[in-house]
Amino acid sequence: MTPCEIAEAIGARVLNPEVPIQACIDAVYAGDRMSDLLSHASPTTLAVTNLASHQLMRAAALMDVPAICLLHGVEPAPEVVAAAGEHGTAVLVSPLGMFETCGRIYAQLSRERQAGK
Amino acid sequence: MTTAMYRIHGGDLERGGSASGELKQMLKKVGMDTAALRRTMISAYEAEMNVVIHAHHGEMRVVLGDGVLEVEVVDEGPGIPDIARAMIEGYSTAPPAARELGFGAGLGLPNIKKSSDALNIQSTVGKGTCVHFTIRFAPQVAGVHGRVSLRVVVELCRQCLRCVHACATAAVRVRDGVPHVLEHLCFDCCECIAACGPRALTMDGVDADGPRGAGEVVVVPPALLVQFGPAAGAHDGAAALAALGFGEVRVTVGWERALREAVCDYARSKPGNGPVISPVCPAVVNLIEIRFASLLGRLAPFVSPVEAAVRGLAGRDALAVAVCPAMQGVLAAPRGRPGVRVVAAPPVVSAMARRVGEGGEGDAIAAEGTPGSASAGVLRVSGVRHVVAALEALENGQLGDAEVLEPWACEHGCFGSPLLPQDGAVARWRWERTGGGFEAPGEAVRREEPFQPRRGMRLDDDMAAAIAKLGEIDRLTRRLPGRDCGLCGAPTCQALAEDVVLGRAAETACMYRTTEQEPAK
Repeated sequence: MTPCEIAEAIGARVLNPEVPIQACIDAVYAGDRMSDLLSHASPTTLAVTNLASHQLMRAAALMDVPAICLLHGVEPAPEVVAAAGEHGTAVLVSPLGMFETCGRIYAQLSRERQAGK
Repeated sequence: MTTAMYRIHGGDLERGGSASGELKQMLKKVGMDTAALRRTMISAYEAEMNVVIHAHHGEMRVVLGDGVLEVEVVDEGPGIPDIARAMIEGYSTAPPAARELGFGAGLGLPNIKKSSDALNIQSTVGKGTCVHFTIRFAPQVAGVHGRVSLRVVVELCRQCLRCVHACATAAVRVRDGVPHVLEHLCFDCCECIAACGPRALTMDGVDADGPRGAGEVVVVPPALLVQFGPAAGAHDGAAALAALGFGEVRVTVGWERALREAVCDYARSKPGNGPVISPVCPAVVNLIEIRFASLLGRLAPFVSPVEAAVRGLAGRDALAVAVCPAMQGVLAAPRGRPGVRVVAAPPVVSAMARRVGEGGEGDAIAAEGTPGSASAGVLRVSGVRHVVAALEALENGQLGDAEVLEPWACEHGCFGSPLLPQDGAVARWRWERTGGGFEAPGEAVRREEPFQPRRGMRLDDDMAAAIAKLGEIDRLTRRLPGRDCGLCGAPTCQALAEDVVLGRAAETACMYRTTEQEPAK
C-alpha cells in the first residue's frame, strides 16, 4: 500500500499531498526513539511516532523513509512539513493515539498481504 | 583516495544531521552500494547527533578509499568518563531537551557499533571525544561500453559550440576546432545534430546515393512518408517508394501499436511496481543504460518496433530506413538481421522527393495518431529534456500514477528527427490526417539479451582510482571560474575539470584561468 492509501484506510490526513510518493509500505516502525527508527528504517518503512520535529524529518530523509505518521491529531509546524516535502517525505496525521493507529495499519497491511497471496 | 570535512555545530539541534546529509550526497556520486550507504547513514547521524547534543562543536572528517570509508567525528566537549558504560544499550547522559526529541535512548554508540565494520572511541574528560568508524563497501561492477552512430564532418564545423551546450549527457566537446563525441556518454539522440547549423554533426550514410529498389521490401517509420509538403500525403510518399522500385512498403506503425499493447499487458502482469518503461525509442534505451541504471529493471523486455518489423524479413531481400543514429545503431548491431540493408533517411527522402506525384495521387485516409493512444495509463513523453525530467521523476518515485512510460528522444517521436526536412509537429499532423491504411498487423518481439548498464559516467573502472579522480575534479572545479561559458570546448567548468583529470584536455584550455589572477584560497 502507498502511504496515501494507508492514510485513507485509517482515517489519517496527509499534510503534504503534493509530495508524490509511490513507495509500497511493507514495514512499520512505531515509537519515539530516534536510534530505533534509524536501525529499523528502510525505503518501504512507515514511521509512526509522536516526534513532530525537524530532527525526525532529517532522519527520515537520511534513511530514505518515504512517510511519517504523527499521532493524536497534532500537526507539526508548517516549516517542518515544508522540510519534509523538500526531502520527499509524506507527513500523515492520525487523529488517534499510537495503539489505535498501529492497530488499524496492522489490519490493513495484513489484509493486503492475505489478498496478495 | 579523497577526503572531506564537514562542520558540526554543538547545541544546534535544528541543523543536526546536515553533515550526514552532505556525506550522503558525496557517497551517492561515488556509487556506494545501498546497503553500505544505509549503514554509513546510521553511524554518521548517530555520531553527529552525539556532538550536537553533548559537545560545543566538532567536525566530521571523511576519508574515502578503495572499498573502505573511514569517518572520524571529533569534538571539543565534556568527553566520556566511562566508555565501556556508554557502550551499554540504554545508558545515556543526554539532557531532557534532547530526550524530548527522541534522542538519549542510550543506543547511539551501540547503534554505530552494530552498523559499522570497526569502531574506535577515544575520549578525554573535559577535552573532547573522537569517534572513528569504518564502513567497507563493494565496488560496483563495470558495465559495457556504448556504441555510437553519430558522425562528425570536420570541414563543416564553425565552432559555434551550440552542440556542446545542447547535449543532455555532456558528451560533446569542441577541441582544436573539431567536435568530439565522448562515446561512453553519447546515447545517439539527435540533440547535437538539431543544434548544428552547418550540419557538421550528422549520421552515417547521409551522403550515400539514393536507393534503387528491385522489388525488395522497404521498412520505413511513418515519418518518412510525410516529408513532401502539403500536396503529398502519406500515400503519396508510399507511392514514391513504389516508383523507386520497391515491391512492398512496410510502415512500422503496426509494430509500434503491437509493442504498446504488449508493454501494457506486461505492465498489467506486474501491478504495484510503478510504471514500466517502453523500449520504443532506442536512443532512450541507450540513455537509461548510461545514466539511469536504476531504471533498467523497469524497461519492458522487447525490441524496438523497427527491429521487430525487420525481424520477420530474415532471408528476404530488404532495406530498412533509419531516421536517426540510434535507429541505425540497433539495426546495424550484431543482432540486426543479416540480409537486411540499413540506409540513412536523408538520401531516401531526396530520392523520394523526385518521384512524388509520379504514381498518381494517393488517397488521404485519416490515421489514428502515431503513436496512437492505446490506453489512458500510458504517459507519452517526447524531447530529450522532457524525457530526462520524466526519468528523473520516475527515479525519485514521482510517477506512480502512470502504468507505462513511453519516452521518445525526439519531440513528436520520430516525426521530430532533425534528419528529416519537415518539422515534427507538421509531419505528425499530416500523418494523422493522411496515414490511415498502413496498419499492417505487426507483432511485439521479446528481447533475448537483458538490458545492461554501461560504463557511462564512471570516472574509472577501478573504484579507488575513481574516488581519487572525483576528489581532483572537485578541487579543480573550484579553481575554475564557474561561468560554464563553453569557450574551452566543454559545456561546464565541471566538465572541463573532468576532462583535465582524465587527460582529455589541459587546464589552460580555460581562457579565464589564464587571463585572471589565481583566486585567493
